[in-house]
Amino acid sequence: MELCIEHLSKRYSNGVQALDDINLTIPAGMFGLLGPNGAGKSTLMRTLATLQDADSGTAHLDTIDIRTHKDDVRRSLGYLPQDFGLYPKVSAYDLLEHFAVLKGIDNNKERKQVVEALLHQTNLYNVKNKHVGGFSGGMRQRFGIAQALIGNPKLIIVDEPTAGLDPEERVRFHNLLSDIGSDKIVILSTHIVEDVADLCNNMAVINQGKVILKGQPLALIEAIQGKIWKRFIEKNDLSQFQQDYRVISSRLTSGRTLIHIYADQQPTDGFLPAHGNLEDVYFSAMAGLFDAPETKIAREHNINARVA
Amino acid sequence: MLTIMFFELRQKFRSISTYVYFLMFFALAMLWMAAAGGAFAGATISFGGKTHINAPSSVSQTITFLGYLGIVIVAAMMGRAIQQDTEHNIWHFFYTSPINKFQYLAGRFLGAFFTLLFIFSSVGLGAWLGCYLPGIEPVHLGPIMPLSYILPYLFSLIPNLLIFGALFFTMGALFRRMLPVYVASVVLLIGYLASGPLLHDLDNKTLAALMDPFGSRAISLLTEYWSVADKNTKLVPLSGIYLTNRLIWSAFGFIMILTCFWRFNFAAISSTGRQKKERQAPAITSKRVTTAHTNFSTSGLLRMFIAQTNLNLRETIKNIYFIAIALCGVLFMASTAPVITKMFGTSTYPVTYAVLEVLSGTFSLFMLIITTFYAGELVWRERDARMSQLFDTLPIPNSLPFLSKLLSLILLQGLLLFVLMIFGILFQTIKGYHHYELAEYSYQLFLVQWPDYMLIAVLAMAIQIIINNKYVGYFLMIAYYIAQVSLPGLGFEHPMLVYGDVPRLTYSAINGYGHFLPEIRWTQTYWSGIALILVSASMLFWVRGTTSDWRGRLRLAKLNTSRSITIIAAMGLLCFASAGCALFYFNNILNTYKNTFDKQSEQATYETKYKQFERAPQPRITDVKLNVDIFPNVRRANISGEYVLTNRSSTSIQKIFITEDTDMGINHFIFDRESNADIQDKQLGFYSFTLKQALQSGETLKLHFDLSVDPKTFLGMSKNGTVLFNGTFFNSGLMPHIGYQSHIEITEDKDRRKHGLKEKERMASRDDIKALQNNYISNDADLINFDATVSTSADQMAIAPGKFDREWSKDGRRYFHYTLDKPIWNFYSFQSGKFDVKTAKWNDVDIEIDYQHGHEYNLDRMIKGVQESLDYYTKNFSPYQHKMVRIIEFPRYQSFAQAFPNTIPFSESIGFIAKVDDKDPKDIDYPFYVTAHEVAHQWWAHQVLAGNSQGETVLSETLAQYSALMVMKHHYGEAKMRRFLKFELDRYLMGRGQERKKELPLALNENQQYLHYAKGSLVMYLLQDQIGEDKINQALHEVVMQYAYKGPPYPTSRVLVDAIRKVTPADKQGLIDDLFNSIILFENRALSASAKPLGKGTYEVNVEVAAAKFKADELGAEKEVLLHEWIDIGVDDKDGNSLIRERHYIDRKIMTFKLLVHGEPAKAGIDPDNKYIDRTPDDNLIKVDMNDAKS
Repeated sequence: MELCIEHLSKRYSNGVQALDDINLTIPAGMFGLLGPNGAGKSTLMRTLATLQDADSGTAHLDTIDIRTHKDDVRRSLGYLPQDFGLYPKVSAYDLLEHFAVLKGIDNNKERKQVVEALLHQTNLYNVKNKHVGGFSGGMRQRFGIAQALIGNPKLIIVDEPTAGLDPEERVRFHNLLSDIGSDKIVILSTHIVEDVADLCNNMAVINQGKVILKGQPLALIEAIQGKIWKRFIEKNDLSQFQQDYRVISSRLTSGRTLIHIYADQQPTDGFLPAHGNLEDVYFSAMAGLFDAPETKIAREHNINARVA
Repeated sequence: MLTIMFFELRQKFRSISTYVYFLMFFALAMLWMAAAGGAFAGATISFGGKTHINAPSSVSQTITFLGYLGIVIVAAMMGRAIQQDTEHNIWHFFYTSPINKFQYLAGRFLGAFFTLLFIFSSVGLGAWLGCYLPGIEPVHLGPIMPLSYILPYLFSLIPNLLIFGALFFTMGALFRRMLPVYVASVVLLIGYLASGPLLHDLDNKTLAALMDPFGSRAISLLTEYWSVADKNTKLVPLSGIYLTNRLIWSAFGFIMILTCFWRFNFAAISSTGRQKKERQAPAITSKRVTTAHTNFSTSGLLRMFIAQTNLNLRETIKNIYFIAIALCGVLFMASTAPVITKMFGTSTYPVTYAVLEVLSGTFSLFMLIITTFYAGELVWRERDARMSQLFDTLPIPNSLPFLSKLLSLILLQGLLLFVLMIFGILFQTIKGYHHYELAEYSYQLFLVQWPDYMLIAVLAMAIQIIINNKYVGYFLMIAYYIAQVSLPGLGFEHPMLVYGDVPRLTYSAINGYGHFLPEIRWTQTYWSGIALILVSASMLFWVRGTTSDWRGRLRLAKLNTSRSITIIAAMGLLCFASAGCALFYFNNILNTYKNTFDKQSEQATYETKYKQFERAPQPRITDVKLNVDIFPNVRRANISGEYVLTNRSSTSIQKIFITEDTDMGINHFIFDRESNADIQDKQLGFYSFTLKQALQSGETLKLHFDLSVDPKTFLGMSKNGTVLFNGTFFNSGLMPHIGYQSHIEITEDKDRRKHGLKEKERMASRDDIKALQNNYISNDADLINFDATVSTSADQMAIAPGKFDREWSKDGRRYFHYTLDKPIWNFYSFQSGKFDVKTAKWNDVDIEIDYQHGHEYNLDRMIKGVQESLDYYTKNFSPYQHKMVRIIEFPRYQSFAQAFPNTIPFSESIGFIAKVDDKDPKDIDYPFYVTAHEVAHQWWAHQVLAGNSQGETVLSETLAQYSALMVMKHHYGEAKMRRFLKFELDRYLMGRGQERKKELPLALNENQQYLHYAKGSLVMYLLQDQIGEDKINQALHEVVMQYAYKGPPYPTSRVLVDAIRKVTPADKQGLIDDLFNSIILFENRALSASAKPLGKGTYEVNVEVAAAKFKADELGAEKEVLLHEWIDIGVDDKDGNSLIRERHYIDRKIMTFKLLVHGEPAKAGIDPDNKYIDRTPDDNLIKVDMNDAKS
């Protein structure tokens, strides 16, 4: 089981290059797709979910060409879009059952089992007769994943599933995702680094339509050790430091500014070694400093963008 | 506030749609004017004859009506002005900015209002500039009056924008959704249409005018009795009912604005209502999902298809707006149901076809609205609910969602038709009609109408899918409906041009569905070909996923191409092409296709080519002997016959001209002396023959002819309605006519100009001696001897004028021989059908009614009508000339009764199914009345017949009306006549306002129905009231004695006027001129009335009345003339029954009278029974103030 993306490109009619020669090989298991807003994650996800067509390139699920054999892909696909609504006046059970019919489960007994099991699994069983229109964000998201899991799909695509969820719901949702068997390809797109750190055994970072980093989170974290340094500074000095060092992130902690910089050796200026984590990997990659030999990186990127 | 307003204005004026709307209405107004002004060959819009297209009343109509069409735009603009902040979720910014509620609302409202004002300024602009378009005929233009453009804006359009703007704005503000706003706009459109049918009943006119939120019906009511001159010169004033209407609706708008301000919540919008809390259930250890089997085989797909269809249908039916629209439709049906065919205010039995016709007519609007709306809703449902991405990744084929949505839309239509059926049956039950024809219901609704609606459903869906913009889709559908209605008026009449255009089906109890079905089926097949192509295109372009640019959609469409789609498209193409070929062959090759313009061209060519022969002396037909063989089952007929032609001129005749109906097949014309055929113009139906040996003065000649009626059947389709499967009825018009026939010429001036012909007078002047050489029903014969043998199939009977003296059977066919022992005018008819027969007697005259089984309701009334008529007419006019009166029913494709010698073909729709309630004082027994009128024609037409000049119909129609009125009066009493005459007054006053050429005095009328019927009734009734019935009858007796069967020169209306003058006392001679030779209108009204009791139930009533008399010219321009009339002064009680009538000489404009009455007076006034022609008949009586003597 393998999803193989080659030279996938897409330019919108307004001139935005959403995908720029994407090459990725995604094995079974949880795969994290990380990138800032507008990086092209959703475009890629939609393309893989057969909702959108690319201009060129190919994507194969094993032997199935996603671009030309959409129906075959759909039979093994579960998709949770980034933003969706639900019919206001249908109960959760009825709607899920309807999806089950449309996913081809035509045996009444089996369908009932599947639907009930999924409602249990997503912890929606006790609200199964409520109208989905009244669901909270977390419930809706869980309903979404239940819907995606119908019919035992081999490829599951979840697009920014935890955006807007409260921490408790997020944890619950992570548990749900982690329960999905490791024999399936699960692609999780997110702009939250922790999601990937918590869940994924493979990942890629895309920015401006390009893959700028790919690998296993643990290996990447390993590789960045010894290159990240931290220091508290005054807020006013930030621009000076940005000129002098390769600052990858700055954040306020207890009213003071903590910056992380990327450097092969420890700088003199009172920087301390920091234990590099996935976030540092991500920001370094975004800043074009880390393990992205095949991509050219724009220098001035706003890296103050933060996170959860 | 101003900032908000300018923000709104800027936004609107930056949007392209504002300009599109502006241009659209500008173009519409221009087109409208151009069409009314005669710029398009085929266009048929008209403001009524001589009314100028830029006359104040026309402009006012144009602006108000186009404003009415624009209601949807008002809804869009106003609703969105307030609702957009919610939809785009930017209300936070506005609600938290430092403005108050009033500023916010007023700013938004005014912004939208001024935008609308800009858009609708285009209507007036277009209507004004439209006058300068090339191609507009100058006769349609009057002087431009700026005020006539400005006033409609001030009185109608701007108030309407404010009223409806307020309504839509309020709805948008309170509901924060657009659908209710659109639904409201539709309900308003319907309010307008709903008030339409109400107008048919005189009693409801005022109500209808008040109910119309647009005010245009109020204008119609205000101006309905305006003459042409009034319409061309008078500005429509804001007064009377119009003012009331405007006030009512302005108040409504004002209340709306207040409601909006009061109820609008200038605070947070809670989108879901209340906060949702989830009770946390203990997390359950995740249970492995058992693997389920999936099935994508055909059966699996079918299952999905059914589930999907089911869901779509359920969701739609549950929808509150659907229920609202459907309910609205049912209410609308309920509002129109009572008028299910009415005549003179009397209802007919609610037979199934009538119920279906009225209900499906009114309901169709809702069908179209629902189809259009829900096509959009269904196609966009997932996307609107933001669920499309969930659905689009499901493993279902592309065609499944589309087909299931299409099917659910079609099922929805079926459901609505079922509602209609239930309603119809319920209505029949309530009305006490229990003859339920379920087969007829199901057939018409589900097998004829449903397929037509399906075509619309496919189109609406396909547009939504291919265009991929909901509102543009709605707009295109509306454009389609408008095109469907207006294209035929612009000359595009061919049945194969407009998608979904299927021939109409008229069900007749006698002829069933007749021969109409095959053509309907072929046309439906033809359009379903297009529908299939649309279906396959929709399958290709079904939007799945997020691709919306055309390049991407095309690529996907290519990917979607599949065998099944190709097969559907190929099938569609096959249906379209094969049915198209069949229809084209049938319409254009087998039959010659002509649109209105082509037909007129032929008439024009006939005139230009052959009018030169009009004055050539021709022999007269003196004997007619016919063999008519009718073959109902193949709808054919063979007619062979022999004319004896006599040269009554003083010169010898060498050339004989024949005009023959172009739909008839001609086998031969043979003379009994040698002749050469010259002109043989089959296309125009004109033939000429040169006799080798000229026909000398006084000589006779025989013409033998052999004609055939061929329905030109092709694949079951056939046109030609001459011979029907059952209920054939045709008349002597199909027989050869000798000489040039001037009645073929185009009469309408507008059309004559279009074809380059000079305008012509409608009729020769009354005493034109040349014209008086012919009577007005034929110009090639006087009295003829008539003999006809008619045959038909074994199960039918065949009828012609005369007494049938022999019937026999041969080769399985029935033959009937009819002869007349007296000569008749050259006017006869043939009928054939399966009839039940009812017979009766009057003295030695046989009475027979040949009727359709099941139509027994009014036979007794008709027979009584015949008997009482014969009684009255023989007693007062002259003996009846035949030995039989025979009424024969014919199908309702035409709705009239017509009198031929001793036979009266009578349409099934005008009396056979009438339901007359004798207990209801308002009900008029019109089967009785129509019968009396037709029997009277045996005297007035078949005995005394006028020459072909002005006033000719006075001697036939007016006198037949008079005769029938008298028979009715004796049977039902004077009181009942009041109501009947009220209808006649209405018909007359309406008719003169719509005069196309000129109104003439009664005695000079040019076959104008509002004159010879309506005014004729009023005039004759007043005359017998003033001079005395016996005096009038004495005069009529004189006329019959002197002029019955009189040949050339034929009499004119002068003989009647003179005869009446003779019996009129000297002091009333003026009345004769007023009634027959002038156009006189009165304005009588009661000013005040009071009464005091004198004890013992006696009262003294004092009444003050005003009277005025006007003389109008041909176009209605009036001048006041001196009063010298004898008019009734009367008092009524509270039930409207007369307490007293006193006739007084009125010679001053204001007079007072004192009357003594027994019984409590309620109303008093002048001319209480509306005997005089008065445009405001309702103000003749006024409430009596009671002066209590005791206090």
